[in-house]
Amino acid sequence: MTDQTSVIQDVQRGMIPAHIYNDKDIFELEKERLFGRSWLFVAHESEVPEAGDYVVRRVLEDSFIISRDEKGEIRALFNMCLHRGMQVCRAEMGNASHFRCPYHGWSYRNDGRIVGLPFHQEAYGGEEGFKKKGQTLLPAPSLGVYNGLIFISLDPDAEPLEDFLGEFKFYMDYYTKQSADGIELRGPQRWRVKANWKIGAENFAGDMYHTPQTHTSVVEIGLFREPKAEKRKDGTTYWAGSGGGTTYKLPEGTLEERLRYVGYPDDMIERMKEQWSQEQLDVVGKDGFMVSAASVFPNMSFVHNWPRVEEDSDEVLPFISIRQWQPISEDETEIVSWFAVDKNASEEFKALSYKAYLMCFGSGGMFEQDDVENWVSLTSTAGGPMARRLLLNSRMGMLENGQNVVEPLSAEEYSGPGSTRVGYSEYNQRELLLRWADHLERPMEKAAQLRVGTDPIQPPPAAGADPSRAAGSTAIAAAQITSQEA
Amino acid sequence: MSVEADRNGKTLSEQSVLGGHAPRTQRTGESLPFDDRLHLDAHRWLVDEAYLLDAQDYDAWMARIAEDVHYLMPVRVTTALGAGYSTSPGMAHLDENKYSLSRRVARFATEHAWTEDPPSRLRHYVTNVRTFRTDKQDEIIVDSAVLLFRSRGDVREAATVSAGREDLLRRTGTGWALARRTIMVDESVIRMQNLAIFL
Repeated sequence: MTDQTSVIQDVQRGMIPAHIYNDKDIFELEKERLFGRSWLFVAHESEVPEAGDYVVRRVLEDSFIISRDEKGEIRALFNMCLHRGMQVCRAEMGNASHFRCPYHGWSYRNDGRIVGLPFHQEAYGGEEGFKKKGQTLLPAPSLGVYNGLIFISLDPDAEPLEDFLGEFKFYMDYYTKQSADGIELRGPQRWRVKANWKIGAENFAGDMYHTPQTHTSVVEIGLFREPKAEKRKDGTTYWAGSGGGTTYKLPEGTLEERLRYVGYPDDMIERMKEQWSQEQLDVVGKDGFMVSAASVFPNMSFVHNWPRVEEDSDEVLPFISIRQWQPISEDETEIVSWFAVDKNASEEFKALSYKAYLMCFGSGGMFEQDDVENWVSLTSTAGGPMARRLLLNSRMGMLENGQNVVEPLSAEEYSGPGSTRVGYSEYNQRELLLRWADHLERPMEKAAQLRVGTDPIQPPPAAGADPSRAAGSTAIAAAQITSQEA
Repeated sequence: MSVEADRNGKTLSEQSVLGGHAPRTQRTGESLPFDDRLHLDAHRWLVDEAYLLDAQDYDAWMARIAEDVHYLMPVRVTTALGAGYSTSPGMAHLDENKYSLSRRVARFATEHAWTEDPPSRLRHYVTNVRTFRTDKQDEIIVDSAVLLFRSRGDVREAATVSAGREDLLRRTGTGWALARRTIMVDESVIRMQNLAIFL
């Protein structure tokens, strides 16, 4: 692997070597050092509501079965038979008490424990030849849940999920905790684009600057009243913990008036008032800002917007979407995009909010269409030798001497955590890429290995994702796997 | 039936979140002989439509869309044999009525729909057409397979989408109009940068 020290140093100064958006060596390093240990979003508890429900999700090349076992606990199981390595589950979703490998018929309960090993006695001589007892599909090394959002990390020593998210949890609640019961997730839509995964994550984290240009057309057709240039720059960008995002400035009014302005009905507003902290309510009601797009490092994003979706009405309808920028290669990304809506919202609201999502974002969304065209073009251009001569200036908001163009809002002006500024800047994109650089320059420790049938392992950890504890978060270390140096 | 129904016999249009307004007419009997006048009409309608979509002549296309249209493209998912469904519950790529289709078309008519400026080169291949009567005199069901080839720029790899369609066509004073379309795309993960196209 080539030395990336100078690339990392440039990025740390806010100067982005353009080729990082299409570079095979960089991508190999990202796979190992970034995706090899970061917390990564894989699913939401509402996608597996009943015992036996499962969805299959990937972390780059690795396939994981996210299941709810018979006790109601969430599991993340590496989808590889312990015998010859077949995928034990080849569907994307379903309900199953067991997963049976089609190759030699080994079978596993939906908590991962092996139950069927044909001819165990005759072929292996029983336990003395192959320790079947206590064998399970390899669990994700770390698993954590916040507001029902299930994350895994390939690092068994990952810091607890809640510590990782940190103050960004304050903002996550706007998207995923509008009432005590949280969200339900639908989808995902999945599609592949010939663009590097970092571009979307950076865009959602803080690029208010692109909105008036890229998305002119959706204003012209009456879908959206907000992204006019002069309005967008009145909003803020904020960074808190491991994530950051953008807001829109709301017109003068009370909390209730402002929530109604973005289209929330009174019953939902009442539940938000019960659910959110005073500070969370004050960001909207007192400071006058409403969250829009956001990203959590490295590749999860949120979006909250409020378009007009009906012909004979000026009313707007808010929608929430959660997405993952799943890297396929240095120049290809699978976008995995879900629609999210508060569980307690009325069916009518859910339907119209879904319509708003489909019209704006996702595989057919009209905002999204123009974004992707730009990102495909950027990625393609970044692949050649000339791109290596360009250091893109990602220092917007900062003078050459490091001074801020706009100072962060004070505690009197803004009630939320983190660092928040009004107007266009690239602080958030820099925050994302600084973390990216930190990961890339930190070598990986060798992962523990499991000798199947020889080493005993403990039953896999569960997330303890009891729906009645929906607000909680848990992070569980890996099963005790005997460390084996190669 | 070519379009999957759930165990209660409900079609995808009926199950979809935004299909409450959709006409419910279903096919009756066997497919019509290929020299049946209704089949000839339907086939011609689909081929004419393909040329309009290739040319991105969306005003002319919209003129052939009924006011109560339901235009649905479910998200396909891989499920075990016997699971009883192959579409994502409660989610679609497109779940449109005439108004939302009209916004998509209006957007292409602005000067700022960057994804189609420069425009794609499109070719809709339509085949496997068969036509069915319904219990309504002026409505027919038409099945077809469509393959869309989409090329952008000079050397970018072209994208294709393959799908089966079930259409409800209604006879009007000015010809046939599309009153319902269900598009069963053949991939779970779409290999195209966006759906700024119509199938």
